[in-house]
Amino acid sequence: MSLKVDVKLDCKGLACPMPIVKTKKAMNDVNDGQIIEVQATDKGSTADLKAWSESVGHQYIGTKEENGVLLHYIRKNDDDNVVEKKFASTITNGEIIDRAASGGIILDVREEAEYAFGHIEGSKSIPMGELEDRLVELDKDKEVYVICRTGTRSDLAAQKLAEKGFTKVYNVLPGIGSWHGDLSNELK
Amino acid sequence: MSNKVAIIASNGGLFDAYKVFNIATAAAATEKEVSIFFTFEGLNLIHKQSMQQLPMPEGREHFAEGFEKANVPSIPQLVEMAQEMGVKFIGCQMTMDVMGLTKEDFIDGIEVGGAVTFLEFAKDAAPSLTF
Repeated sequence: MSLKVDVKLDCKGLACPMPIVKTKKAMNDVNDGQIIEVQATDKGSTADLKAWSESVGHQYIGTKEENGVLLHYIRKNDDDNVVEKKFASTITNGEIIDRAASGGIILDVREEAEYAFGHIEGSKSIPMGELEDRLVELDKDKEVYVICRTGTRSDLAAQKLAEKGFTKVYNVLPGIGSWHGDLSNELK
Repeated sequence: MSNKVAIIASNGGLFDAYKVFNIATAAAATEKEVSIFFTFEGLNLIHKQSMQQLPMPEGREHFAEGFEKANVPSIPQLVEMAQEMGVKFIGCQMTMDVMGLTKEDFIDGIEVGGAVTFLEFAKDAAPSLTF
């Protein structure tokens, strides 16, 4: 199954340091928050891209292997933490599993690739950018717990939902990045 | 954390060239400011003719096939890429004088300087590497 990404980069057959050099160049065409898929056959590229992402300040999401090709997923600019959170109604990571069990919806607004590499079992995935077009998939009568990695995108998403007439919306803090329970990588 | 990487290239073989330029391009791609000081045999790595056919270490000639199979970029390619990403090349004036070479013997875009030119750059660089 292929994941939805914004930019794909072919580094197949290239040896170190080319995957890094090409990824660095390709990042110029990727917007903040977008996902790049780097396709490589160099075995060292997994460790290299992970270290590179951390060093430069991008979010390394994960790597999967498909037909002998390594697919690396990176989200540009890991600056989620710096933005001030505005949505007043919040809920903690620890509370949402029980609350969801009594009928609430855990809404994960991260990108599809981030969701694929680890999400809360039973949560619903609608990436932030698609939220406005997919509101019909959500039930206004239910509580909605909006979650992302750090609470920043979910803050914006919660504001958006409130604007659209959702009244029982909560921003989940601190978010998946600090999740202590099990995460699933099963996709439906 | 320092944002500078300082490299001294003082050997002129093919392996030496890969060590120098792989680290340099990787560092540049990681948004580091990189300078390489080429001295003694290291000057081969940026000499217009020598860089085209740098020698393998004696007895290691059989690695040529491995380089090809692994699809490793050529040294001139790596040099071009390094320059494109802003890696600064400094040729050692003293060695050039000893060897009777001038700036024209080298690829375009290099600076020529003495030890102090490099030291000035390297004083707050981390890491500093010697190959």
